[in-house]
Amino acid sequence: MIKEFKQLFRKKVLVVPLFVFPIVMIVFFGYGMGGSVNNVNLLIVNNDMGVSSNALVQELGTFIPKNSDNKMFEITYTKDMSQSEAEDKINSAEYKAVLIIPVDYSDRLAKNEKPEVTLLTDQSDTTSTGIIVETMNKILAKSQPGTILLTVPDLYGSLKYIDFLTPAVIALTVFFGTVMSTGYAVAGEREDGTIVRILMTPVSRGAVIFGKTIHQLILQLARAVILILAAILIFGVTMNGSWLLVALILVIFTFGAVGMGIAISAKSEDMTSFQQISMLFTLPSMFATGVFFPLDSIPDWMRWIAYLIPLTYANDAMRIVMIKGQGINAIAGDLIILLIYSIIIFSVAIRIFRREV
Amino acid sequence: METIIEVKGLTKVFKTRRTELIAVDHISFEIYKGEIFGMIGPNGAGKSTTFAMMTTLVKPTGGSIMVSGLDVEKEDEKIRQKIGVVPQQHSLYPDLTARENLELMGNLYDVPKKLMDERIDYYLKLVNLKTHSDRFTGGFSGGMKQRLSVICAIIHDPEIIFWDEPTTGLDPQTRQAIWKLAMKFNEEGKTLIFTTHYMEEADKLCNRVAIMNAGKLVALDTPENLKKTSNSTSLEEVFIHLTGEEIRD
Ligand SMILES: Nc1ncnc2c1ncn2[C@@H]1O[C@H](COP(=O)(O)OP(=O)(O)O)[C@@H](O)[C@H]1O
Ligand SMILES: [Mg+2]
Repeated sequence: MIKEFKQLFRKKVLVVPLFVFPIVMIVFFGYGMGGSVNNVNLLIVNNDMGVSSNALVQELGTFIPKNSDNKMFEITYTKDMSQSEAEDKINSAEYKAVLIIPVDYSDRLAKNEKPEVTLLTDQSDTTSTGIIVETMNKILAKSQPGTILLTVPDLYGSLKYIDFLTPAVIALTVFFGTVMSTGYAVAGEREDGTIVRILMTPVSRGAVIFGKTIHQLILQLARAVILILAAILIFGVTMNGSWLLVALILVIFTFGAVGMGIAISAKSEDMTSFQQISMLFTLPSMFATGVFFPLDSIPDWMRWIAYLIPLTYANDAMRIVMIKGQGINAIAGDLIILLIYSIIIFSVAIRIFRREV
Repeated sequence: METIIEVKGLTKVFKTRRTELIAVDHISFEIYKGEIFGMIGPNGAGKSTTFAMMTTLVKPTGGSIMVSGLDVEKEDEKIRQKIGVVPQQHSLYPDLTARENLELMGNLYDVPKKLMDERIDYYLKLVNLKTHSDRFTGGFSGGMKQRLSVICAIIHDPEIIFWDEPTTGLDPQTRQAIWKLAMKFNEEGKTLIFTTHYMEEADKLCNRVAIMNAGKLVALDTPENLKKTSNSTSLEEVFIHLTGEEIRD
């Protein structure tokens, strides 16, 4: 069956837009952007035996950034936690940042020595990290001018904004690419009548859809691999995780995107209306899902939209694997949500395809 | 005569948001093995819809169709192996060559490789496209596409060929060529079913003609008998006599 579809897909693929588009995007947005973040989940591990740290903690709890009405930190308190335990909390995205106040904090201040606090942040999100570190420095300086040392260990190697951007741009590219090329294929074959010819053969509709899906999976995976390699070679982007997991995320995600492409194109009368309808679905994904800026930095209402869009979960999973180098457990939640989305979209698509085409 | 297609009480209702449109209204007829069967009727009469149901593309609302002893409802995949449908549009992949288009169809119908190559060569020669076999069809002229489209539909050697308006909008030379081809297929023993706007074509070429109007079958007989019963000299007159003079679009 697959063999029979090979010819169908031997159409010449437009290589330039396929690869140039995401690279331009990385370069274009790659120069970072400032802004503020709020509702940052901060875990304070206060091991201090004395009371001097209370002032600092208070300061953090009430801090409101300029140009904002909301508190910057959403704080949870604990004590007696090792740094590696704290790192796990970041890796699993339970907390965005962990501040560790050492046992001798008050002691050292009393002796006029410089205490050293450690800040762990989710460095896969370079923008938020930059803002959090900067804010933390300010607050520390205000609390005890010139005395407290802040250490920020590199959890995932030294990262730039582009490291944050690349995993999501790849997910975005795969999403756009799949919806568009599946859609064009179906809408085009409808427009020129070839799909009727195919449906007249003994090949079932299920097999036609299956063929299209396999084709997209192969195409998109190949594309993702090339893009990641290019990003590593050209921009020195970090790839800390497993290629296999990246493939797994993209396979599940592409599956849903194929469904979306089929559904939209089966519903639209011709090429032009397909373009318009698909824009309606794909553009919000681009801006509301934390591709270019962290979800913590966008307004609440936008974040709620983001949580409804599958790309959000693909971005998250891609970053967890590619930057944080985590295993399947860390992305299980994202994968399950993606899988549910994909199955729903795909079954709706098959239904529409059977009815409309 | 042996019946190859049997249509009984066939009905198709299209439901849109507000209205119901009865495109085909309880029609029954038989088509015999080896004949050339024509369907004529004004625009919107339901010819294409009837075709679509006979070729398993559209599910009937009511009634039954047996094609070569198989039920369209239950055995549609088997039926599709036995029929060839020439689509109204040319329906070729522009970025495949003529030969690749044919091979694609052959593969989808599971034609063995060796047999397929023989047939491809034979048919390409038959429609004078042999010298263009390795060109992309995107650059073909309308007539060339038309010819290739026809042989794409029969590469699996079907018993029955369905052909919806094969000659509409073509120049007389191409029409002539298409008819020659149709006669050739018929001589090979294939049953031919087609729709047309051109009465003289139906008159000249068909063994029997069905006239449809507003979803109903209003007449079915040989061209001679149709003319005799309505006392007309041409099929065109019979047609106007049966379907009225108003223009439909
Ligand atoms: N998919 C469809 N949905 C709704 N109405 C349709 C559809 N296909 C055909 N019709 C309607 O059914 C009627 C018969 O159409 P058709 O079979 O194409 O006629 P013909 O081929 O004889 O010109 C027309 O009124 C047409 O508008
Ligand atoms: Mg028609």
